[in-house]
Amino acid sequence: MFLDLAQNTLDGLARGSAYALLALGFTLVFGVLRRVNLSYGPAIMLGCYLATWASMAIHANLILLLAVSVAGTVLAGAYVERLCFAPHRKGSAIAAMVASFALWMQLEELAVLALPRHLYAFPALYEGSPLQFLGLTLRVESGVMIVVAAGVCVALRRTLYHSKFGLAVRAAVENPVAASLAGISLPGVFVRVFAVASALGGLAGFLISATHEQVTPMLGMWSTLKGLLAMMLGGLGSLPGAVIGGLALGLVEAHSQWFFGPQLRDLIAYLLLFLLLAMRPRWMTTQSAS
Amino acid sequence: MDDYAIGVLTNVGLFSFVALSAYVLLLAGEMSFGQQAFFGVGAYAGGILTAMYGVPLPLAALAAMALGALAALLVGLPTLRLKGLYFAMATLAAAEMARILFELLHFQRELEGETVGPDGTQGFRGIRWIFENGIEPGGFLGLVWGLLFGIVVIFLLVERSRLGMTLRSVGDDPELAASLGVDVDRFKLGVAGAAGALAALGGVLFAHHNTYIEPRNFDIMLGVHSLAYALIGGLGTALGPLLGVALDIGVLEGSRIFGGTRMIVFGGLVAVLLVFRPRGLLDEKVVHWLRTRFS
Repeated sequence: MFLDLAQNTLDGLARGSAYALLALGFTLVFGVLRRVNLSYGPAIMLGCYLATWASMAIHANLILLLAVSVAGTVLAGAYVERLCFAPHRKGSAIAAMVASFALWMQLEELAVLALPRHLYAFPALYEGSPLQFLGLTLRVESGVMIVVAAGVCVALRRTLYHSKFGLAVRAAVENPVAASLAGISLPGVFVRVFAVASALGGLAGFLISATHEQVTPMLGMWSTLKGLLAMMLGGLGSLPGAVIGGLALGLVEAHSQWFFGPQLRDLIAYLLLFLLLAMRPRWMTTQSAS
Repeated sequence: MDDYAIGVLTNVGLFSFVALSAYVLLLAGEMSFGQQAFFGVGAYAGGILTAMYGVPLPLAALAAMALGALAALLVGLPTLRLKGLYFAMATLAAAEMARILFELLHFQRELEGETVGPDGTQGFRGIRWIFENGIEPGGFLGLVWGLLFGIVVIFLLVERSRLGMTLRSVGDDPELAASLGVDVDRFKLGVAGAAGALAALGGVLFAHHNTYIEPRNFDIMLGVHSLAYALIGGLGTALGPLLGVALDIGVLEGSRIFGGTRMIVFGGLVAVLLVFRPRGLLDEKVVHWLRTRFS
């Protein structure tokens, strides 16, 4: 029993690391642009579909597939940014979000037209047997996911607090008027933040696909929903919050799946979010969201 | 009209209910991702009443609307004070919970040697009231659009009344509305309840039109679509959401020109449209202009 709990916790951390990566991308965009990008998941899906195609057509190796996933996601992200976020920068947040939903439809349809089957194999990240220790099992892919997520956190933190770009981002968030008076180009900051978030999404999508060893047309919606859920659980708009939210979602899902099965797992995750929002603990409402 | 045209027009009507339901909440300043849940509640409740217990459709529709309103109040009570994205996510969570509950709902009974009733993910077949009562597709189309016409007339009357002013003022500036003596919380709760009943009515008709419903019909896609319909059509008049649905289902799907690429065309069209008209085609300015022109 104790061993099961420990195993579930470990699985939950691996699952949660993937969610944390997705939530980080969402949070970067929301924290800086104050906009929700519903197309985030579908852009990731397009990147991964492109990589799947590359793996089938030219048998590309994993490094190349990673590059294709990231490049495809960034390209799709750039398209979304130009059409949904640049024009609505000063305008309505709802219009920007609905526009990003419209492009969700587009990107998803595009991916499905290119690869119409319900399931495609994706090359495995690692072919060997899982790690065993203290009676616990950890898939190497899951270990990689956890390490990469931790690495991304450290790198993001360093970029935000120890680089000129990071300073510009923080200035743009803290006081956009003062930042642009000081010579920081706000549109430029937004575009680069969007690119960073998309690249993160591509990385997350690649790791998720290579862990599951498959891609399906559900990948887009799945990524958007899990990323949004994790971001909201973490309190919206802070990067440590996104990581905590992602890990918390992973842990809750892993444990409730073991106790109650997959359908109730999702029910419990949504119930948790609903109750948290309804009770509004202070850490969830420090950021204004309009 | 051939059967295909009747089918398309009926669908435009059916989805207009849930688009109107998202629209009225948008006017009150709340963006809901969850109106599909009440559409689903209406569909299941209406289907259960007519197919399993032989209740006549009008009575079943009234009961389903009451249930839809009740469900909307239950969701709205703890969440309507949330703002923006918080409210959107809370309604999304509620709607996804509803969808999973539909998946878990196994409630069947034997009826004349046949098992009828919701069977989890297998869906709910045999909601045949309109066929058993000899209503032709054309007649059903008339019923749907007749109801919709009545609702739009009510909307248009309300929007020109004090109630409509209150609705828009609550949406534009809740603090100002409160300072003028509007009980904003109660008002929004009322709006949410009405929106729930409206979506549920659409759901009942949807279930009886299709004769078969399954939990997937009521997923997040329907919710975001209805929000998009309201926004494309325009936030200036209740005819806006109808225009939004008509553009997507009527023109793009109905014309069958684009086949498998319909979503690509529709998605691009909407995104470009919103750049130029962020409050939709029939926004407040256009409606005002039309009104001064023609009255």
